[in-house]
Amino acid sequence: MAIIGNAKYQARIKRHLAKYPTKRSAVMPLLYIAQEEYGWVNQAGINEVAQLLDLDPTQVKSIAGFYTMYSEKPKGKYWLQVCTDLPCALQGADEFHAWLKEELGVQEGGTSADGMFTVEHVMCLAACDKAPMLQCNFHYVENLDKDSMRALLAKWRVDGAGAANGSA
Amino acid sequence: MSDTVTINLDGKDVEVDAGANLVDAVKWHAGNDIPVFCYHPKMEPVGMCRMCLVELGSPARDRATGEVMLNEDGSPQIRYFPKLQTACTTTVSDGLHVKTQTQPVIDARNDVLEFLLSSHPLDCPICDKGGECPLQNLTMRHGPQASRMYFDDKQNLAKHFPLGDLIFLDRERCIQCARCVRFQDELVGDDVLAFHERGRRLQIITNSDPGFDTYFSGNTTDICPVGALTTADFRFGARPWELTEVPSISPWDAAGENISLSMRLDRDFGGKALIKRVMPRQNERVNEIWISDKTRFGHHFTRSDERIMTPQLRAGAALRPSNWEAALKAMAAALQAADGDVAAIAGSGMPNEDLWELRRLVEAAGGSRLGAWPPTHGGAAAVAQVGIGAGSDLGKLGRGDAILVIACDLEEEVPIWRLRIKQAQDRGAYLVVANARRTRLEDFALQGARNDKIVEGDAIRYGVEGAVAALQNLDEHQPAIAQRLRAAQNLVIVAGAEGLTLPGSEALAIAASNFLIESGHIGKANCGLLSPLPGPNGMGLQYLGFSPRAAQDIISKPPKVLIVAQAELLDDDPAARQWLSQVDTIIAANLFDDGIGELAEYLLPLQSFAERDGSYVNGERRVQRFYLAQGPVGQALPGWKLFGSLRQALAAGALKPSAAAVFAELSEEIAAFAGISYQDLAQTERQFPDVGGRDLYYGGTAYENSGGIGVQLPASADKRRSRKPRQVPDYAPPAADAGEVLVVPITKLYNRQRNFRPSLLLEPRILSPLIVINAEDAAVAGIISGDMIEVRAAGTSLRLRAHVSDEIARGIVTLPRHMTAEPVPLAVTAGSISRVAEALVAAR
Amino acid sequence: MGTMHILLRGRDIENLKQLEVYEQHEGFSALRAALGMSPAAVIDEVKASGLRGRGGAGFPTGVKWSFIPQQEPVKYVTVNADESETGTFKDREIMEENPYQLIEGSLICAYAIQARAVYIYLRGEFWDIGTQLDDCIEQLRAKGYVGENIMGSGYSCEVYTHLGAGAYICGEESALLNSLEGYLGQPRVRPPFPAQKGGGLYKEATVVNNVETLANVPFILNEGAEAFKAIGTTQSSGTKIYCVSGHVKKPGNYELPMGTTFRELLFEHAGGPLHGERGFKAMLPSGGSGPIVPLTDEVLDTPMSYEDCANIGTIIGSASIIIMDESVDITWVASKVTKFFAHESCGKCTPCREGTYWLDKVIDRILDGRGSPDDVRRIADVAENMAGTTLCALGDFAANPIIHTIKQFPDDFARHVQAEA
Ligand SMILES: Cc1cc2nc3c(=O)[nH]c(=O)nc-3n(C[C@H](O)[C@H](O)[C@H](O)COP(=O)(O)O)c2cc1C
Ligand code: SF4
Ligand code: FES
Repeated sequence: MAIIGNAKYQARIKRHLAKYPTKRSAVMPLLYIAQEEYGWVNQAGINEVAQLLDLDPTQVKSIAGFYTMYSEKPKGKYWLQVCTDLPCALQGADEFHAWLKEELGVQEGGTSADGMFTVEHVMCLAACDKAPMLQCNFHYVENLDKDSMRALLAKWRVDGAGAANGSA
Repeated sequence: MSDTVTINLDGKDVEVDAGANLVDAVKWHAGNDIPVFCYHPKMEPVGMCRMCLVELGSPARDRATGEVMLNEDGSPQIRYFPKLQTACTTTVSDGLHVKTQTQPVIDARNDVLEFLLSSHPLDCPICDKGGECPLQNLTMRHGPQASRMYFDDKQNLAKHFPLGDLIFLDRERCIQCARCVRFQDELVGDDVLAFHERGRRLQIITNSDPGFDTYFSGNTTDICPVGALTTADFRFGARPWELTEVPSISPWDAAGENISLSMRLDRDFGGKALIKRVMPRQNERVNEIWISDKTRFGHHFTRSDERIMTPQLRAGAALRPSNWEAALKAMAAALQAADGDVAAIAGSGMPNEDLWELRRLVEAAGGSRLGAWPPTHGGAAAVAQVGIGAGSDLGKLGRGDAILVIACDLEEEVPIWRLRIKQAQDRGAYLVVANARRTRLEDFALQGARNDKIVEGDAIRYGVEGAVAALQNLDEHQPAIAQRLRAAQNLVIVAGAEGLTLPGSEALAIAASNFLIESGHIGKANCGLLSPLPGPNGMGLQYLGFSPRAAQDIISKPPKVLIVAQAELLDDDPAARQWLSQVDTIIAANLFDDGIGELAEYLLPLQSFAERDGSYVNGERRVQRFYLAQGPVGQALPGWKLFGSLRQALAAGALKPSAAAVFAELSEEIAAFAGISYQDLAQTERQFPDVGGRDLYYGGTAYENSGGIGVQLPASADKRRSRKPRQVPDYAPPAADAGEVLVVPITKLYNRQRNFRPSLLLEPRILSPLIVINAEDAAVAGIISGDMIEVRAAGTSLRLRAHVSDEIARGIVTLPRHMTAEPVPLAVTAGSISRVAEALVAAR
Repeated sequence: MGTMHILLRGRDIENLKQLEVYEQHEGFSALRAALGMSPAAVIDEVKASGLRGRGGAGFPTGVKWSFIPQQEPVKYVTVNADESETGTFKDREIMEENPYQLIEGSLICAYAIQARAVYIYLRGEFWDIGTQLDDCIEQLRAKGYVGENIMGSGYSCEVYTHLGAGAYICGEESALLNSLEGYLGQPRVRPPFPAQKGGGLYKEATVVNNVETLANVPFILNEGAEAFKAIGTTQSSGTKIYCVSGHVKKPGNYELPMGTTFRELLFEHAGGPLHGERGFKAMLPSGGSGPIVPLTDEVLDTPMSYEDCANIGTIIGSASIIIMDESVDITWVASKVTKFFAHESCGKCTPCREGTYWLDKVIDRILDGRGSPDDVRRIADVAENMAGTTLCALGDFAANPIIHTIKQFPDDFARHVQAEA
């Protein structure tokens, strides 16, 4: 596993590097690529991004730590981020979030025993009129209820059986 | 534009420097202490901590006309910002109104402190910084009476988090001021510290490999405004109020960093005063408020058990401990018997007073040859003539100025110069680095942009033709660079001796002098020559008549009696054993025995810089005093006393009573020191930024300069002499035959020298020795990185692992000095290299 | 019901997000017109329209553009598509359903200040929108509307997207610029402001505008400043997208002229209280960051404009209108919003970093029934101490929910601390 030299990413890396007048600016897009490759932002990914951008790994780690969409811990194949911010909460998002954790048997931020799902709550996702909602590997799923959620989980369990960890 | 502006500070008009930072300006001109945490006068303001909030107003201007609007009484109308503003991010401007004592300001200070303390442990008595802590002090002055934060709401975080081998972080104490991060990034140029996470979870991390481990890391513990950063060397070793500060000078290199030795009577040291830590002492002309980690952590040799403790006399095959009386008597006899064939070699750790007495001794015994050790750097004579001008300050170089650094690796040889030269480049100076290989400073020269600043520089990579040819042909080969250097407002050339023999480094210094003379860059401040002479007193050796040429002469014609003073001949020179064997009587005085005890008739213990008074002359020709700090070790004597006593034993005048008296005599005899006394050296002045003593919050725990800022000796050029270019002596690098390479010894800051090894903390930081070889050369020879290589040169052979590099010229290999059991050649020499089969390596 | 869509035209025109469809509906005629004008004339037109920034602060857009020093060789436009204010979801709909209008507006802005490139900074969660915008940009490049020599005018400009990665503070313009440059998304000291050399993207003069702001620009050039000014109030011209969430029957975006009353919005458009039997209690008209107000008749009859909202002690901001009915405990609301800011504080400055953490701790204590009346006074005081002393406005935003919930709904707090006593 690697980003450097991995044919899958070369075009994207090149496109991002071409966007900005400084290499450093590409640190965020490249961290997404690292996360995609490894399933989370691990040390190998940080080192590779640092190498690609001529940065000290400390700087890359710092960026990864500031933003919540980079996970510095391994996570499940499906990273479920439930919005429980005020507007969603007014529509029952807190209860929905609690129920989902129970359904999957996980604590906040934890991953289900089968390694399939990580559940955490997040701040407002700009989907306040479609609560409850969540973000699954960075794609929105809106207007949820227990039934539709159960159906989705079942589908993901099947789809995810062979899939790699990762985002997008 | 005028150079000053008038601001109104709490109702009073104050004239301040135009363009100054408001915090600095009111402190300097009006003694007004605007409290700060994140602001540091040596770094760009960031406005993070909000401690410096003040009321700010400026004259209101008519939108249409741009005219200042007036009150009825004719005074300008002042429009105040509706919110408090951070003084640290404010540049003074004419008519600025500042209120620093109003209720909103007082409240804001109180509030910011309350916020900071809401997360901070309240256990000052057990904190390393307790007693000299800006947070503690400012809380006393401006803070709340009690915390309203519930104690159990505080975060519990790592208390002893190592950021590397040298520095520990207490995450609970950190107040997120980013001073350490900014120091590393802005000043040092190694961005190995950063914040991780955000909000209240924000914390300092390093993710570099190795961790926080730069040559300057200790400085962060001084500027940290709380006890969050501590050094592995000192942490919890003593309380600040138990320590006595003694002004001193770094014993390591030509920078002459001003330091303060924090002393305590110590049980572990027989109840005598012991160095607990080494702190910077402000000298803006020399080291500002920074010291290298070698200076800070490398002091343990002064108390080492390995030191020579007693005078020893040869009795047959062995040396026998004796006493001074017997030793002096025997040595006097030996000197008398030498018929004037007496010579001395002194190392550059020898203070001026010792050198003077040594010289008088040799002269009293009828000798005249005074050798400077190591006999490798020929720049001192040229520095005495066209050295950097009187009143120079590397901290003043900037836009329009230029610096050429040639044939040295300042990061490894004189780290503080490298720090200050990088800063000069950040301020706009044009930096050119010339060498046969890549050095750290070359990285900076070529970096282009740094901390959002465009910086200018060039690198010149010369080959086996060497530095002298490169400089002499500069106009021809690099006309654009030469032109920019010549046209600079101020030009400083730093000429070293890397890759050169002694005549080569002399020739380089003369070529550099000529360049400076021709372009008019001598005899004035911030212009002229510097040379990274090894050790702290290379220029003292020069002024007191000790020369590397004389040392070479002694090597080629050994005398009957040779006095070796604080010089590690055997550690430095593979040929030393051979030529020393031709000396009848060796009198060796030093801190450590480098093996010369096997050859010497007399082995005598010398005191270190910490146990005595004395003075050094730094590379900028500044004479600086250091003071007795540490308790004595064994029967060691200061060199002046030892040599003076011996002179007295020769009936050539009485021993002087003190170092001061010796200095008084030498200043009468040596023209360059004329009229300078110990009192002059102890003079201080108010320095900007005013970080001394009480205002720890402002600059950190760099200490006020109480011991003197020293006196800069004028160069000949400053006295309008020696202004004509001289013929550069013909110099060709040693000829390498077919199949040979030029073997270039290089200097590493952290090495296995005897006075460095006892500082165990730095030991893991010593790199393993490598021979660096050009990639193409390596390909031809079938060498890859990691191969074991045998080097044969200057009559010696060494084995080291290879490092193959694109960053070194063809035909050249480098060998690090003082890293291997066997010494590497003294200076550049032709030699051969060959791969050693691994089976043979294993067998050894 | 006189809804008029300048921005949410995607609701009226099917497939507006396809380039051909957009072009059939006056698409890129405004850019073409602008390229035929002098840059200064474009700025003057926008100035004359009275358009004010829709990102929250309501700064006049044309005036902002006019601050850019024309002689600087390198300038940038940065589109603020970070949309992270609690309860805001308008920029998202514009970009999803009417993306070309945003790009057209951005290019007009770019031309007006003679920028070299446009960067659209999207919050990272808008991953799919980013993909769609990249696709739009490629189509425009193929047509010669983006890139070299746009529409043969001789003016060249690139458009790029950049994804954030989950940080509300990156909506603050200087933090956004830091983030785009690859540094921590922490605000910068100002001055220098983004519009000045030294203060913008890569230290170059830069316009930062909100998505909704820029999406208005094609209309202004097509229909003229007067037509725009004719909509709304004297000081707040044009339409505004109001994002309604919480306890209403029909939460969603409503584009209405500025100056429409809250009553009209909430009852006529958003369908009134979610649970008819429970009345409205309170409203956060500008997401978590603006002052909360009780939904009294006086408030309901207030026109939604910059000037009128100031009169009732709140702000319209980005018009993220969160409605709470009588069942809601305002102490809980204060806690929710405080948690948001504690989570989103960048940590750079002391009062916000420490204050948000402290407030969050104490308000938890109060909600748990472990608090005392002193604690309520304490958080009010801590919040007051934060306000006005921080490096960026987030600190003020974070103080607002505490200060104003306690002021407007003291009983909700009293209930918790008395229960314990
Ligand atoms: C903490 C904070 C968050 C902000 N978030 C956003 C945001 O998500 N989107 C936005 O357009 N403006 C946001 N702003 C306002 C921007 O700083 C800036 O004023 C705006 O982008 C200017 O564009 P406009 O003039 O078009 O409104 C925020 C400001 C602050 C202080
Ligand atoms: S107010 Fe908050 S978000 Fe803004 S700079 Fe300060 S810590 Fe960062
Ligand atoms: S904000 Fe001015 S000193 Fe920290």
